[in-house]
Amino acid sequence: MAPGFRTLFLVAANVLIPIAILTFASGFFPYKPFLSGLAQYENLDYGSPPEAPFDKVVFMVVDALRRHRANAASDFVYSGLSGFSFTQSLISSGAAIPFTAHATSPTITMPRIKAITTGSIPSFLDVILNFAESDTSSSLATQDTWLAQMKAKQAGKMVMYGDDTWLKLFPDFFDRMDGTSSFFVSDFTEVDNNVTRHVPGELGNDDWNTMVLHYLGLDHIGHKAGPRRSPNMIPKQREMDGIVSQIYEAMATKESLQSTLLVLCGDHGMNDAGNHGGSAPGETSPALVFISPKLKEISQGLESPALFEENFQYYSTVEQSDVAPTLGALLGFPVPRNNLGLENDRTQILLRNARQILSVVTATFSSFESDGPSQNCGELSDSVDELACEWRGISSSVPTSGEDPDFERWIVTITKWLKQVQELMSSTASNYDVPKLVIGQAVAAVALLSASIAAGPTVFNAWRTSSLFIAISISYGIMMFASSYVEEEQHFWYWATTAWLLLLWIKCNRKQILNSRLLALSSITILIIMRFTRRWNQTGQKFAGEPDIARTFFFEHKISLWTLVTLTYLWNLQSLATKAFQRFNQTASTAIATLLATAAVTFKLAFTNEDSPELMAGIAKLMAGEEMGVSLVTRARILFIALGLALAYTLASSFSHKRPNPTMRTIHDLLTLLLITQSRATNIPLLLLFGIQFFLIADLDLSLIEISTTSLLLQYSSFFTFGGSNAISSVDLSSAYNGVSGYNIVAVGILTFVSNWTGPIFWTSATNLLLLKLKTKTGGKEKGILLQHLALQTVFVTCALVGVMAACTVLRTHLFIWTVFSPKYLYSMAWSLGQHLVVNVGVGSMLFWLGG
Amino acid sequence: MPLIDPVTMSAINPASQTTPVKSSSPIEVLPADLARIVSQVHPALLLSAYYLRFPSFVADPVPTLLSSLLPLAIIQVAYAAFCLPSTGSNAKAVKKGKLNGAKKTGDAPSANAFTVLFSLVLSLLSTPVLAGLQILFGAPVTTHLPHTLLSSAHLALLAIFPLVYVHGSDGNKWREIASVHSPIDEVFGGAVGCFLGAWLGAVPIPLDWDREWQKWPVTIVTGAYAGYVLGKMVGGWLLKGRRIEFD
Repeated sequence: MAPGFRTLFLVAANVLIPIAILTFASGFFPYKPFLSGLAQYENLDYGSPPEAPFDKVVFMVVDALRRHRANAASDFVYSGLSGFSFTQSLISSGAAIPFTAHATSPTITMPRIKAITTGSIPSFLDVILNFAESDTSSSLATQDTWLAQMKAKQAGKMVMYGDDTWLKLFPDFFDRMDGTSSFFVSDFTEVDNNVTRHVPGELGNDDWNTMVLHYLGLDHIGHKAGPRRSPNMIPKQREMDGIVSQIYEAMATKESLQSTLLVLCGDHGMNDAGNHGGSAPGETSPALVFISPKLKEISQGLESPALFEENFQYYSTVEQSDVAPTLGALLGFPVPRNNLGLENDRTQILLRNARQILSVVTATFSSFESDGPSQNCGELSDSVDELACEWRGISSSVPTSGEDPDFERWIVTITKWLKQVQELMSSTASNYDVPKLVIGQAVAAVALLSASIAAGPTVFNAWRTSSLFIAISISYGIMMFASSYVEEEQHFWYWATTAWLLLLWIKCNRKQILNSRLLALSSITILIIMRFTRRWNQTGQKFAGEPDIARTFFFEHKISLWTLVTLTYLWNLQSLATKAFQRFNQTASTAIATLLATAAVTFKLAFTNEDSPELMAGIAKLMAGEEMGVSLVTRARILFIALGLALAYTLASSFSHKRPNPTMRTIHDLLTLLLITQSRATNIPLLLLFGIQFFLIADLDLSLIEISTTSLLLQYSSFFTFGGSNAISSVDLSSAYNGVSGYNIVAVGILTFVSNWTGPIFWTSATNLLLLKLKTKTGGKEKGILLQHLALQTVFVTCALVGVMAACTVLRTHLFIWTVFSPKYLYSMAWSLGQHLVVNVGVGSMLFWLGG
Repeated sequence: MPLIDPVTMSAINPASQTTPVKSSSPIEVLPADLARIVSQVHPALLLSAYYLRFPSFVADPVPTLLSSLLPLAIIQVAYAAFCLPSTGSNAKAVKKGKLNGAKKTGDAPSANAFTVLFSLVLSLLSTPVLAGLQILFGAPVTTHLPHTLLSSAHLALLAIFPLVYVHGSDGNKWREIASVHSPIDEVFGGAVGCFLGAWLGAVPIPLDWDREWQKWPVTIVTGAYAGYVLGKMVGGWLLKGRRIEFD
């Protein structure tokens, strides 16, 4: 086949990839009908709504406040070892009523706040929006929430202190506010003091009716060290307990706060590694406590601290979305319109709740409007019809008064009905557009076909060599159907890569291009490095918290960390100093390279000092202590500009000089310096290890298909060595704001991608150097090196996409669809669009073209 | 690989070096009837012994692996002594054996005893190397060291011992084996199958079934035994005399 045709098919395949991905995504991520406008009391025939017991609310959110196992060293709220002793005394006295508020996945802050305030169940799309924070569609300003209801009452001002997510969700809602950013997770105290300092003043004011306090410190401690290990956990809980006590004292003594309700809740929990986002019991079981001296009148108190519970289900469990309607009843406003939560009072309130739920259900299922039987509902086959039928029964038999003999039975029936509808609607919060799913898959299949046609001649000319590449692609596609292999994807890549590297040794041994002792030495080094990188970051689900090099070893051996980091910078520096800037003399080019390295090192030290001060030790600590009054943002910008200038100079000089390879080498080194900058300090030595691996692999004299296979395997396994996984919680945002002061979605997006796909980007650039070397060696006789390489990569990407899409479609009713397969789909979007199309195809081809 | 592959160009040079090695031929099982029978019984014996020990292996890996080393060694020694031409005698022995095998086998029992001992020692010496290889392939390094060492000892007795018994310390032959380019026979086939099986044995470990047998190193050793038996049968019969080609 003529190369022209192959190029055509390759281009077609790559154009089809984004089309397939977007079509499938639009059908896969659910659309949820929502009603706009503010709810009003419906005019029922049963009198005016009951008088609300409270008129003010203090809503205190403690990020990641979960109930924790009683045998752990640090406990959260309800168990014996917790720091929340005052809150527990309130529970036993009856002034506080505790619950476990079940949070649905995804358990990250923004969707959880949405659930608490609107009473609806956020869609998975909110996960993406949580990162794209500027997106206005995520704002709740136009939706009905209990905040909007409190504002509509116009009985007082709204105040908000704490996590600025609230300010983003509710722009222009609050009259007084002080938002804190949750950017530096190493900040345990500042974020909370920023909130606490406002509390005494506000308790003295009587002009507000809603006060929201969102504390981040507890979550930060969890992220940093996990809930059990950190010595900061108990003091932080005591601090939070102290604030509860402060507010309670004010409520008990101050006239103006007499009918104030304090709601203490967590937005989500955390697992034992301190992360959240998934649906493990620890993550989905935040605490929820209603506190007021008034509650003593209705509650006798519960035993507290509570006994150990296996799955964190202390006291009674409610849905997190039930908070909104309950607040509605307690504070006297109608239930927010999109609410799916339930509350527990009598006829009146239940009926109003049911009416509101009905309007949401009717927006989805029209059968609720039509007439039909109201008896013997169990005989109907469809659960929707059954519920509609039951509703007709309920609405026709409303008891007239509390003395009605059917009263209790009616209450039970309607409560049961509400629960069933809640379940129904929660599951249809994930409606799939199946035709779109099928179209997306068909397009992906066509892309796979045309990629195969483009790669066909390469494969058939050397079917033995390429059979392994094909085997990897196919088994990866099949693997997508097994949830454990998706969760533990790193094992597949480590397993295959190690075997491949050994095979390369065996192959080279046969070819005898190198002295066999030298070859053995270099191959063993490559394998040993591979083994070290495997253990660098424990990732996946099963062994997530186990000891590893980055988080356990370096934590105890700070000097070896900084020695390795220094070596990485030196390796990069010597390469730049000797090979780059060749138009200057040696001294000048060394000076330039040193300046670059200094800018990079000082930025990294200052950043690490802010981000993870616990890692600082020895000289690094001394150097970071030298405050120069330059902010992190400025330092990062200086470094990025310097890198940009060096890159521009290198490119410009490559056009006048005819020496392609040193130039490409310099671009590779500059890129590596950028990647080092975008990595956490503990991951920086990985780039040194990859550098050594690359140096050794370059001498193995690989053929084209071998280069492609090596590139694929090392791209994927290096992603996981940096701590990546298929879980949303493993996205590393710590370097996403380097040099960005405001919120700039493009810049933050690119920086986030670079800091999470560091390894794959390194290997793309390294592959390019290998391909250029191959081109030089064959003297241009081998045609279409780049075409063949990209065709093979495209075969893998399309094959993986077909697998992921098929798995997501077939398993769309599977238990793990939201926790395993949806995040996997998001990741494969990033792999195919970002890593494949932009980095491998875009940047890779450009570099190859520049070098050739 | 396509036409102008550097591989083929560079292969010209060492071709002259490797010519004598390339002439190496597959191992033939000794022609005596007893040898043929033992060779057929051997895999069945290995697998049924493994099957019988499996429950206690899952329950108590280290003691079981340790206590089954001696029976395994006996099985392997018996197999080698009855069926395989020992080193030194091999090249000529096989050729002569074809003419007059029955006479040859009874020739040098003392030499055989020495070879057996020598092969046992050498293959046990290879255990740390195999353990190192297992660690490179992802075996735990901070824990489970006895498990890894003992499973390596099993690998050594299964795969390395017959190879040493047959080929001795012939450097060229071993270079050929190290580059997996030896002609396939039941000894070499068994060894390749054993290592491939051990590698494939890692596949079920990450599954979330949480069974006892998913623990280190049960699946690896199981894969090694199954792979050895399969490789031995395929190597001694189906693919005999061929070589594994990668390109």
